[in-house]
Amino acid sequence: MIEIEHLTKRYGDTTVVDDVSFQVEEGTLAVVVGTSGAGKSTLLRMINRLVEPTSGRVLIDGEDTRTIPEDTLRHRIGYVIQGYGLFPHRNVADNIATVPRLLGWNAREIAKRVEELLDLFQLDPAEFAHKFPHELSGGQQQRVGVARALAARPALLLMDEPFGALDAVIRAKAQDDLLAIQRRLGTTIVLVTHDMNEAFHLGDRIAVMNQARLLQYATPAELLMHPADAFVERLVGTAERPFRLLSLTKVQAALEPGSAEGEPIAVSDTLHEALSRLVWTGRRALPVADAGGTIIGRISVDGILDHGRALP
Amino acid sequence: MKPSSVIRLAALILLLAFIARPHAFAFLFEPLTVNRAPAIYNQGSLLALTLQHLRTVVLATLASTLIAVALGIFVTRPAGAEFLPLSRSLVNIGQTFPPIAVLAIAVPLVGFGEKPTFIALFLYGLLPIFENTLTGLTQISPQALEAARGMGMNPRQRLLEVELPLALPVILAGIRLSVIISLGTATIGSTVAAKGLGEVIIAGLQSNNIAFVLQGGLVVALLAVLIHDGLGLIERQAARKLGRSPDEVP
Repeated sequence: MIEIEHLTKRYGDTTVVDDVSFQVEEGTLAVVVGTSGAGKSTLLRMINRLVEPTSGRVLIDGEDTRTIPEDTLRHRIGYVIQGYGLFPHRNVADNIATVPRLLGWNAREIAKRVEELLDLFQLDPAEFAHKFPHELSGGQQQRVGVARALAARPALLLMDEPFGALDAVIRAKAQDDLLAIQRRLGTTIVLVTHDMNEAFHLGDRIAVMNQARLLQYATPAELLMHPADAFVERLVGTAERPFRLLSLTKVQAALEPGSAEGEPIAVSDTLHEALSRLVWTGRRALPVADAGGTIIGRISVDGILDHGRALP
Repeated sequence: MKPSSVIRLAALILLLAFIARPHAFAFLFEPLTVNRAPAIYNQGSLLALTLQHLRTVVLATLASTLIAVALGIFVTRPAGAEFLPLSRSLVNIGQTFPPIAVLAIAVPLVGFGEKPTFIALFLYGLLPIFENTLTGLTQISPQALEAARGMGMNPRQRLLEVELPLALPVILAGIRLSVIISLGTATIGSTVAAKGLGEVIIAGLQSNNIAFVLQGGLVVALLAVLIHDGLGLIERQAARKLGRSPDEVP
């Protein structure tokens, strides 16, 4: 668990991060979102002490980060930045091996770990291990960047706009891959972004920052239904709200008995996806299929609308 | 084989043949002589003079490289940042001071021979290497540096594993420039009795023998061209590994 307690950073008279406190549960993904200049990156960089806080502290599993030598702390925390910062003079395998090598793992362990990670990120070791960063596409560089951050099995991963340099199609895939890997490894992640859609898609909890202050730290649904103030409300997008809420809920929740005409919708899809299919096909209801393809019921426009409404 | 490689190889063979067996080329230089003067330099072995010349240049450039790179590293560290303007002006003085003036000042202090030449070449060679070290170290992608720091590399590891390897092609370009300047400049060392190819040229000037002047000049020129090419090749190798096109190296 990560506990951020009253973190403050001042440069002269300017306060960049103002008394921010929140906690990130083990194995969850917290997104810090806000406009540019809101202090998100500085907050993130105070967690691995790339920036020293003016006051306040960070506890990782109860341990105050100030008691751990800087470099040791950073060996234990994965760090991914926008643009990834891959070392251009080292091939993919050597880039990934950076932290294990700093920690003095032996060559066999390192080679095994590199191969494991390349497999995990769907990069064929035979093809990619000896390529240099400039020979990779943006999406491949991004995966190598994350693989490198995970190399020494950190319990915590910090990501600063990790998808910022990707085009929309590759970004969506990269986000899904990150979620899958996070669920699989159980890594705690703190991710900074300015993209609200990304925040809602990825975050178990979302911290909204504006002008150095934390305005609200809540689950995506709470953020939508009970925004702490006008800024948060604007940020979550008044017109977008019902759709965002729908995209947080799975079809399962609105499943009705009965049958309907048309191509079935998967039960694991979100209500947002279901509604958009209903609108597009011009039907009032569609059948719902489980993972095996068996029809288990139907979903209707009215059923969905009930879930997209703010609670009284 | 590319045409450029053929020309390089031919130049190398010509140079080696000429310094090993200069008399075989006497027929080429005879038309330039008057009053039955010798066509080929006869007051010492060309081979020995060439090696002497190279030795002076290599030693001076090594010393310049060591000092300039160390200085470049120092002033790009947080602790040395305030010395950047000072070291820049010092190194610039080294460059603006004409080598011949350095010789004039150095001779009374260290005597005739190789030493004053070495000092002049050393001072003259500092600037290109220092400036290129600075450029190389300051143009490294901030993301790579941030990542290095974020992964827990200490300052020494960052310097040795990230900064210097990434700056290498640019530093090498500075060294190459310095070597080429020194190769030419070293000829004036012979005015203060340093052994080198300048001797041939000066002997030619004194006895009004154009053949000598041309021989000395030719050997120096060929050496410069070949060394320039050879070092350029190494630079491109280093740059290619970084995925840059060779043209980007200044």
